[in-house]
Amino acid sequence: MMNRIWGKTRTILPLLLWILLFVAVWEVGALLVEASKRTPENVLPHIYQIIEAALNPKKVSSGESASQLVLSSAGLTLGRAALGFLVGTICGFVLALIMKISKIVEKVIFPYLMIIQMIPILGMAPIILSITGDINTSRIVIAAILTFYPVATGTLAGFNSVEKSKYDLMHIYAARKIDLYTKVLIPTAIPYIFTGLKIAAPMAITASILVDTLQGDKGLGTLLSQSLKHAMSIYVFWLIVFFSAFVGILSSKLMGNLERIVLPHKRIRVSRAKEESI
Amino acid sequence: MTDKRVREKTLIQKIAENKRVQSASTFVLPVLFGILLFILWEAGALHVLLNTDTFTLPLPDRIFTIMSDNRDKILSNVGATIAVALIGLLAGSIIGYGIAVFAALFKTWGAAGLSIVAAFNAVPIVALAPVMTNLSKDISDDANTRSMVAKILVVTIVTIANMSFNAFRGLTELKPFAEDLMSSYAANRGVTLWKLRVPNSIPYIFIALRVAVPSSVISALVSEYFAEYIIGVGRQIRENIVLAQYSSAWAYIVTACLIGITMYVILMLIEGIVLKRRVNA
Repeated sequence: MMNRIWGKTRTILPLLLWILLFVAVWEVGALLVEASKRTPENVLPHIYQIIEAALNPKKVSSGESASQLVLSSAGLTLGRAALGFLVGTICGFVLALIMKISKIVEKVIFPYLMIIQMIPILGMAPIILSITGDINTSRIVIAAILTFYPVATGTLAGFNSVEKSKYDLMHIYAARKIDLYTKVLIPTAIPYIFTGLKIAAPMAITASILVDTLQGDKGLGTLLSQSLKHAMSIYVFWLIVFFSAFVGILSSKLMGNLERIVLPHKRIRVSRAKEESI
Repeated sequence: MTDKRVREKTLIQKIAENKRVQSASTFVLPVLFGILLFILWEAGALHVLLNTDTFTLPLPDRIFTIMSDNRDKILSNVGATIAVALIGLLAGSIIGYGIAVFAALFKTWGAAGLSIVAAFNAVPIVALAPVMTNLSKDISDDANTRSMVAKILVVTIVTIANMSFNAFRGLTELKPFAEDLMSSYAANRGVTLWKLRVPNSIPYIFIALRVAVPSSVISALVSEYFAEYIIGVGRQIRENIVLAQYSSAWAYIVTACLIGITMYVILMLIEGIVLKRRVNA
């Protein structure tokens, strides 16, 4: 019991020290900026000032305090990001499946899959907006395209990682093709899919925020650009920076947790390995 | 094929299983698909499919005409974008590798440091870019120089996380008993690092770069949106769209794709040369 607690503190302690170091560097920077600038909050405010702005109940815009404003816009932005993420995941998985089933489709599509990664989708946001004609649809489309690539390549890599012996075994069992997919190929690919999802989740959020900045609708990105142009308190900008960083990290962690729920055998292996190391 | 079938193979099966046909089809099929796509686009079928017009999605020949007409202007913007992407990529890779070496030498401290780096990786570029623009305001009186610094910082941060993770794996996931062998030679940490860990990490550096090269181009494009000085391919896409000059915007989009593809191909060539020599050695 004591050992386990000691093991936990041993891993958390360095992390805490690193965070403290980060805060210290930030604060030193903030002090320097404060000494040399007339409006230090535009460049680098103190962390306590940002926290104060988050807790301040003063109304910033349309009867909402800074925190309320950020949270209500975040709900909109994140909802769209999540929808796009879901669409992209499904499309990526289905395409990888089709590519695995048909060798010809794989040969035709694979080079283009590489090229899709090179297209600056984020830069193309305005064009997609003018093609779809609707800001909400284009947000979902862009988040979906960004999610699509890591998921499709991840899933395909997972399918291709199945050893030949497993195919042979299924052949001996006289397994139907559908059983080969549902019992061998897809379960093997799941960890690979999650690797893709972990990369894709923060990207979907970035996409959603960026599309917000294009049009004066509601959303985190709109709020971000308004705050940068000093249409409202600059602290709203800093709140969004911290909030989006936090949500980005959280989304990646969330995918990791989901993986542990979906793959309990991996969870057992990991926890056993952890106990052995302690 | 090891299984001997009683039934005679059909001609189509024979063709499909022919080695030469298979390797040729890897090139021919995608090219055919590309030509088909091009024809559909030029003939306007893509417009019907996407429910759009030639104003929003111009025909390919119009895009290429604009590209050749504005060659000098496009090239100067390409120069700015590539400079940002490459310098950021280089700086980020070096710092990221440095962090990985530190983490490999001091495991308890390093692993925690890596999770902080991972946190930075999850910060959206849109939040990072304006912060960097603010921070670099004092660096120079010249708007171009200070915008450049801000953009490079964004690309650097995006690259660091990716490189440090993969390099750390390369430095620590060694062949079984390799570390024991080094300790039986009474090799110290430095020698183990230089003779065992660093060479082992080289393929992992390329894994990192395969992700980092496209993402450095994209973060350069996005950071240009938020930069003070108006230059770069990404910024031109946006400026032209604001002016509703969609054909010019498309010219820059195609340029951006070409930058990404060219840099990726160059990376592949370097990877081929470096890793091939490793196998021979």
